[in-house]
Amino acid sequence: MKKLISFILGSIFALNLSITAANAAANEVRVAYFLEWPSPNLEDMQKKNFAKALGVPVKWTNFTNGGAMTDAMLAGDIDISYSQGLVPFINAVKSNAPIKLVDIAMEYGMGGTTCVTSNASGITKANGSELEGKKVAVPLGTMAEYVFDESMKVIGADRSKMDIIQMDPEEGAAALVSGDVVMACLFGGNSIKAAVAVGSRLLTVQEARDAGILGIDITSVTDKFMKENPGMLRTFIEVTHEANDRYRSGKSDMNAMSKASEMKVADMKETLSGFKFLTPEETKQSMESGNLDGFLKGMGTPGGAVDTSFLPL
Amino acid sequence: MLTQIITILIFVSIIGCIMYGRRLIQTEKVDAVFGNPERAKGGTHWVIVGSAAILLVWLYYSWDIAKGFYPKSANELCQVAKINESLLGLKYQFPIEEREFKSTSIIKIENKNLQKITAEIQNSKDLSNEQKTILVGYINKTKKLIPLLTNEDLIEMDTKIKISEMTNEIKELSSNFKKEDYPFETEVEKSERLKAISEQGNWGIITVRSGTGTIENTIEVPFVAETSKGLKFQAAAEELKKINDKFFKLRNHNPQFKSSIKGLKDEVKAYRKSLDDNEEIASDYAKNIVKIARRIEFASIYPPNALNEMQKAIIEFDDLQENEQAGLRLIDIVLFPSGTIVASGPSCSEQGSGRWLPKPSDTLNKFILMSNPNVGYKNIPLLWIEMIDVSSIVGFILPDWIADILPGEYPVHTSEGIVKENFKGKVLKVVTGDFKLFKIPVPYGHIWDSFLRVFLGLVFGIIIGVPLGLFMGLNRFAKGFFDPLIELYRPVPPLAWAPLIISVLGIDNTGKVFLLFMVSLSIMIISARAGASGTQLSKIHAAHSLGASKRQILRHVIFPNSLPEILTGIRVAVGMCWGTLVAAEFLAGTTGIGFVENVAKKYFQYEVIWITIFIMGMLGLLFDITLRKIIDKTIPWRGKG
Repeated sequence: MKKLISFILGSIFALNLSITAANAAANEVRVAYFLEWPSPNLEDMQKKNFAKALGVPVKWTNFTNGGAMTDAMLAGDIDISYSQGLVPFINAVKSNAPIKLVDIAMEYGMGGTTCVTSNASGITKANGSELEGKKVAVPLGTMAEYVFDESMKVIGADRSKMDIIQMDPEEGAAALVSGDVVMACLFGGNSIKAAVAVGSRLLTVQEARDAGILGIDITSVTDKFMKENPGMLRTFIEVTHEANDRYRSGKSDMNAMSKASEMKVADMKETLSGFKFLTPEETKQSMESGNLDGFLKGMGTPGGAVDTSFLPL
Repeated sequence: MLTQIITILIFVSIIGCIMYGRRLIQTEKVDAVFGNPERAKGGTHWVIVGSAAILLVWLYYSWDIAKGFYPKSANELCQVAKINESLLGLKYQFPIEEREFKSTSIIKIENKNLQKITAEIQNSKDLSNEQKTILVGYINKTKKLIPLLTNEDLIEMDTKIKISEMTNEIKELSSNFKKEDYPFETEVEKSERLKAISEQGNWGIITVRSGTGTIENTIEVPFVAETSKGLKFQAAAEELKKINDKFFKLRNHNPQFKSSIKGLKDEVKAYRKSLDDNEEIASDYAKNIVKIARRIEFASIYPPNALNEMQKAIIEFDDLQENEQAGLRLIDIVLFPSGTIVASGPSCSEQGSGRWLPKPSDTLNKFILMSNPNVGYKNIPLLWIEMIDVSSIVGFILPDWIADILPGEYPVHTSEGIVKENFKGKVLKVVTGDFKLFKIPVPYGHIWDSFLRVFLGLVFGIIIGVPLGLFMGLNRFAKGFFDPLIELYRPVPPLAWAPLIISVLGIDNTGKVFLLFMVSLSIMIISARAGASGTQLSKIHAAHSLGASKRQILRHVIFPNSLPEILTGIRVAVGMCWGTLVAAEFLAGTTGIGFVENVAKKYFQYEVIWITIFIMGMLGLLFDITLRKIIDKTIPWRGKG
């Protein structure tokens, strides 16, 4: 009996300590990023320039969605998330996660995230209200849901009257092909390619841009890392903006980038053509009163989650 | 209040049951030896201990006990967390929680980096000797920057004054902090704070956004200090934050350092300009050297003893605030296991086990909320009843072509614009369910949909699997023909089919039920076959010699003999089906428990996730209990021969 009690007390003690041990400061910076989502700073990642600039090793881990990035940050496994989608970030902030938005990775038009209606359904922008009462596939909690919401406002259809099915992009595309849904909202080059084969974009890239629908990917950081290593964070963002500068002036090493993002050079260039990498000044403007600010307010994000003080101005 | 009572009840019941159990063991020692199955019978008291222990662990690690007994503790800990947040940056500069000064570790790292780059340059084959000398010269200059920052004689008077100012501010804060009535709140401030408190709600509130029916995550820890103790910490945190900001704006840059780094930067710039395009490697190295110099410039490097006073002041304050916490510290350690309350900007949150393990009380509240058919989840209730006209069921069952094959034509409207019904048209109305009968209640909702999918998958599995299994157990052809097929598909994990299901069967129930059918089918075949081939030959011979026909042998000997195996197979299949259901509903869904869990995950709704887990556990248990009852009824002889 005594042994049992001491075992129970011991394991409680060990469990209580486990969290603090996991968060102990490490002498490396751990960054989360996406594959197949190219950005100029991946060249620096490939050439280990970040490690040189930060002075400590930088460990890059790839993720499949922004929500998982948040989870890893809260568990103390990731310090910086690069190109996390804004919607997952907002969901995290709404649930009081101690993370901050410090930089905009890129803005992109509907090229990369879009809703596609099937040709068989005959639904286009003109008769969009016919979507009501039909089945649509949407990956909930991602940027695609935001694009879906905004597109519905543009074409004047009521979201609450539709049968919204939670589907990841690959499955959404498959369901559109098989005719199970009349519209699928998706992201990712391959899924969009498959969907467009049997359908067409509800809003063209230009129409979406005119309607002010755009995606924003951001750089988020844990509070702890931000407080403890402000210098490193500043350097990280600076190197990123240097890479963006290099890309704008056409000096990026496309081969290194394609290797880092595991894409073919041609496919990568096509994806990149839809991205807009902002200058530090544009970023600050967007964060304080521009697109990002409007986005956050539109989604009802609690204040205080944005910090512009790390931008290399 | 309820949590308190339950916690005490749990303790009482655990202790009481353990004592009862021990007494029982002592009295039983005499008449039941070890190994006697009687010793495993009964034992309700141990069931109570087991369930109570689970509940206790849940209450403890979700911090519900803390909430029950000290409802204000989260708010006070939030204020303490604010101090920790403000102090974090400052503390990190000193060997308080770290092993060494931040300055020391930066110097160490940068010296190492300089060494590394030197070695790289020396060994590089792409650089000429002349370039090497120039680059190494830059490295040496960068190295010499460090002593300019760490030399105590060089530190500027202005910097010294600022440091001592900040030190004094911290000291003053410490002396004020000790005072009873700190932060000397005025009446106006107090009334403002009280107003904010009345608006902020309690620890762990849930609100429903009316209309849309979605459950939002809201503030879980009240932010504004509610107690006088908390107020002290809140005020101190604000002052510390200002000091912290001041410190990080301060740079220890004396004129010598400034001129040397400027010289270095200019020199490198000029050098890089002078290089040709084909000397890019040298240019890159020069750039990297400047980067190191800039890191040294922006790091807070100070002479070794310059910050001693400040460090003392910080440690003093830190000790002071820890003393001031007194009982709160104990509550934090004991009642907030695996984590604590963390402040982040304008909100406080639970980080640690309290974050992903929702409190039983919150979970129960949310469950009650979700059970309300008007709220549900994503506009669909968990389980509710809908009144459906019997006609629609008739219409669903009868195929529409019945009307088509009748002789005659469907009615055509007349020139007066009137449609006159004929017999064929009336039949069409019946088979499509376009008429009114009485209404009957039909359940619907997430739970019902999940239940139905499992049930259908299971039923189809049994209907096809059992006869096939029996056939395979009795017939050489069937065994030989189906064996390779079944043995090939049986070991495939059911989820391996999942990626194909949407493409082949679509997103409706068909695909999900098919997936579950695949799960139950192989299990049913195997168990029915084992049952059939395991029948004792003597029983078959006995029936045969009594003149039984083939059908009679099958019906009265082989089938009852394989029933135990079949029913055990069903029990296993139910478990497997539940396991697969969640994944199947992850695929594509609008309803179902798995769908709810999948969506909740995306919005970090941990309460909802746990609710779905409990619902699935409960439903699985319900299935199992029902099956156990059926087994007891149908094969009472099992385990007795």
